[in-house]
Amino acid sequence: MLSQFGIMFLFILTAFAFIGGILLFGKLLRPDRPTEEKLTTYESGEEPVGNAGVQFNPRFYVVALVFVLFDVELVLLFPWATVFGQPTLIAETGGLWGWFALTEAVVFVVILALGLAYAWAKGYLDWEKPQPQLPTVATKVPTTLYEQVNERYKRPTTP
Amino acid sequence: MNPSLSYSLLFVAAALFSIGLAVVITKRHAVVVLMGIELMLNAVNLNLVAFSQYDPSRLQGQVFSLFVMIVAAAEAAVALALIIQVYRHVKTVVLDELTDLKQ
Amino acid sequence: MTFQTYDCLQMLPIILLSLSGIALLFLGFQKSRALLLPATLLFLVIAFVANFLDWGKTYMYFRDMLLVNNLAMIFTGVVLLSTFMVVSLSGSLADDEDAQPAEYYAILLFSLVGAIMMIGFENLIMLFVGVEILSVAMYILTGSDKRNLRSNEAALKYFLMGAFATGILLFGIALLYGATGSFVLSGIGNYAHSATNAGGSMLLFYVGMFMLLIGMLFKVSAAPFHFWTPDVYDGAPSLFTAYMSTVVKTAGFAALLRILSVSFSGVYDFWWVAMAVVTVLTLLIGNITAVYQASFKRMMAYSSISHAGYLLIGLVGLSQASKPAIAFYSLAYSLSTIAAFGVLMLVARNRPLNAAVFGDQTTLARTDEHYDAFNGLARKNPLLGFVMAVSMLSLAGIPLTAGFWGKFMVFSAAADRGAVWLLVVAVLMSAVGIYYYFRVVIAMYFREGQTDTIRVAPFYRIVLIAATVLTLALGLLPNLFQGLI
Repeated sequence: MLSQFGIMFLFILTAFAFIGGILLFGKLLRPDRPTEEKLTTYESGEEPVGNAGVQFNPRFYVVALVFVLFDVELVLLFPWATVFGQPTLIAETGGLWGWFALTEAVVFVVILALGLAYAWAKGYLDWEKPQPQLPTVATKVPTTLYEQVNERYKRPTTP
Repeated sequence: MNPSLSYSLLFVAAALFSIGLAVVITKRHAVVVLMGIELMLNAVNLNLVAFSQYDPSRLQGQVFSLFVMIVAAAEAAVALALIIQVYRHVKTVVLDELTDLKQ
Repeated sequence: MTFQTYDCLQMLPIILLSLSGIALLFLGFQKSRALLLPATLLFLVIAFVANFLDWGKTYMYFRDMLLVNNLAMIFTGVVLLSTFMVVSLSGSLADDEDAQPAEYYAILLFSLVGAIMMIGFENLIMLFVGVEILSVAMYILTGSDKRNLRSNEAALKYFLMGAFATGILLFGIALLYGATGSFVLSGIGNYAHSATNAGGSMLLFYVGMFMLLIGMLFKVSAAPFHFWTPDVYDGAPSLFTAYMSTVVKTAGFAALLRILSVSFSGVYDFWWVAMAVVTVLTLLIGNITAVYQASFKRMMAYSSISHAGYLLIGLVGLSQASKPAIAFYSLAYSLSTIAAFGVLMLVARNRPLNAAVFGDQTTLARTDEHYDAFNGLARKNPLLGFVMAVSMLSLAGIPLTAGFWGKFMVFSAAADRGAVWLLVVAVLMSAVGIYYYFRVVIAMYFREGQTDTIRVAPFYRIVLIAATVLTLALGLLPNLFQGLI
C-alpha cells in the first residue's frame, strides 16, 4: 500500500525524470555552435567580475545576527497566543485574563525592545558609510567660476 | 500508544543525532562543527515533538522544542561572533590549527 | 511538607537580578565608570536579602517550574556571595580602556539568573534554560579579553564543548520525556519508583538518564568529560576563571543533587556504580595531572576538576546528609578559590615586565601565572601571603580550615552508604593534593624572589581578609553553618 509520503515520493521522482527528459530532448534537437558571447553567464547583460565566492562585509553578519535573535525570540509568542485565547480562562476571570496575558506579553516585548535599543544606542546598527576622499587639486581657477559654469549648464529641474 | 510510529520517529531522531555527533567529532572546521551541533539539537526537537503526541492535552514537548530553537539561535549568534573574533587574530578557524593553549 | 502555590512575582531574586542587569547595561552609557562597581554590588546585596525573605518556607512557583526551599536558598546564597566577591575583585576593569565593565557586570548578573534556575528547578525546561543562560554568558565572558588570542581561542573551544554537552543533555531530556511523559522531577521520580517495582523494559528511561547525567557532568568538568577545562580556565581572564570555577560548579552540583535525589533516587542501584567510576577517574586525573603543572592557573584548573571529584563523592553517597555536605563544600571551595585567584591577579599584574626576556606577549602572559611568580611573596606582602596560604590549606583540606570540614562531611555521607573503597581513593588523592597546594606556600615563604610591595586597594583588601576570616571561622565552628540547614 502506498502511504501518503509514498505518493509524494513518486511525484518528486516524476518531476526529476521529467526535467531530465526535457533537457535531454533539447540537447538532441538543438544545433550546438558556441561562441564566446553565448557562453557568458548573462548573455548581452552585465559582465561578471571576479569570483562568486567573495567575502561579504562582516558588518552584514552583525546585522543578520541581531535580526535572527529578535526574530526567533518572537517564537515564544506562539505558546502565549494559545493560552491568551482560551475561552475558559477568559470566562473564569470575567475578561480580566486577557488583560493580564496581554500585559505579560507586552513586558516580554519591552524587554526585547530594550535589548534592541541598547544595540542601537551602542551604534551596532549603524552602517559605516564609506567616506569619499575628495580630491584636492592645486589650481589657479577660483571655485566660484566652476559654480558659475555649473549654474549656467544646470539641467532643467522637472516641474 | 502506537509503538510502531514511536519507534520509527525515534530511529530517525537517533540517526540525525548520531550524524550530528559524528560531524562534531570528525570535522575540524569550527563552522562545520557548529552545524553538527545544530543537527543534534534538531534531532532533539524531532524527538520532543514526536513524544508530545502522547501528551496531547499539555503539549509540553512542543513548548520545550520552541525553547530549544530559541536557545539554539542565541547560541549560534554567540558562536559566530566568537568565530569571527578568532578569525581576526589567526586568519583560520580550523580547530587543529588553534594550538596556542596547548602545553 | 506543604506546598503553597503562588504564580506571580514571587521569584524575587531572579526578577531583581534580571532587572538590575538591564539597568546596569544602560548605566554603562554614563561617562564615568566609577558608579558601575558599587551599583553591581548593591544589586547583589539586594538580591541576597530578597533571597532569604522566604526563609523556612517551601514554595513551588509557576505551576511546578521552580522550587524554593531552605536548601535552594542556601545554594543561591553561596552563589550570590561568590559573585559578590568576584565582582568586588574587579576594580581594575574600570581602568582598562578596552574593557566594557557595564556589559561584563550585566552578563554576570544575567548568568546568576541561570544559576538560580539550575539550583531550584522542578521542571526540566527550567534546568535546560538555566544551564544555557549560565553557559552562554560564560562563553562570552571567557572571550571577553578580545585582544588576547588565548582568551578568544578558549571561548571558542568552551563554546563547542559546551554546546556539544547541551546536545547530549537535551537528548537525554527528550528520552526521559518519552519514557515518563513528564518534565517534572517528581513525575519522573514517580515513574522510576513504579516502573522498577512493576518490572518490564526501562531502556528508554535508563538511556535518557545517562545522557542527562553525562551532559551535566560535562558542565561540572568531571572526568572523562573534563578535557576542555584546563584550556578554558587557562585562557579566560583570571577574574572570570574565578567565577567559572565557583559559581558554575556550585550551580551544576546543586542541579545534579536535585535531579539525583528527586528523580533518580528510586533507581539508585542502577546509577551509583557508574557515578562511582566517574568519581574515581575524576579524582585520579584531577589530582595527578595537577602535580605536573608549571602554571599556577592551570594547576587551579586541575584542582577544580579534583574538587568536582570530592563533590561527586557526596552525590554517590546520596542521602539526607549529603545535601548540607555539598552546600558546605561548595561554600568552602568557593571562598578559598576566589581568594586564591584574587592574590594571583594582584601578583600577575605587578610582575615586572620581562617582555624583553621572554619575547612576545603570549609567553609573558604564561610566565606571569607560574609558580615562580609567587617566589618570596610573603616577605614584602605578609597579608597576601597569609591569604594565599589559608586558601591553599583550605583547598588541601587541612584541619582548622573550612575545606577540612567540607571534605569530612562529604566523606561521612559516603561512608554511611558503605562506599569505603571510594573513600580510600579520595583520602589518598587528598594527600597528593597537599603536595601541589604546598608548592605555592613554599614558594611564597621559603624561596628568594624580587617581589616589591604590592599596592592593594582598600576594598580589595577587605574582601580578601573577609574570605580568609570566613574560611577560618567555618573551620573552627562548622556548626555555625550546619545549624542553618
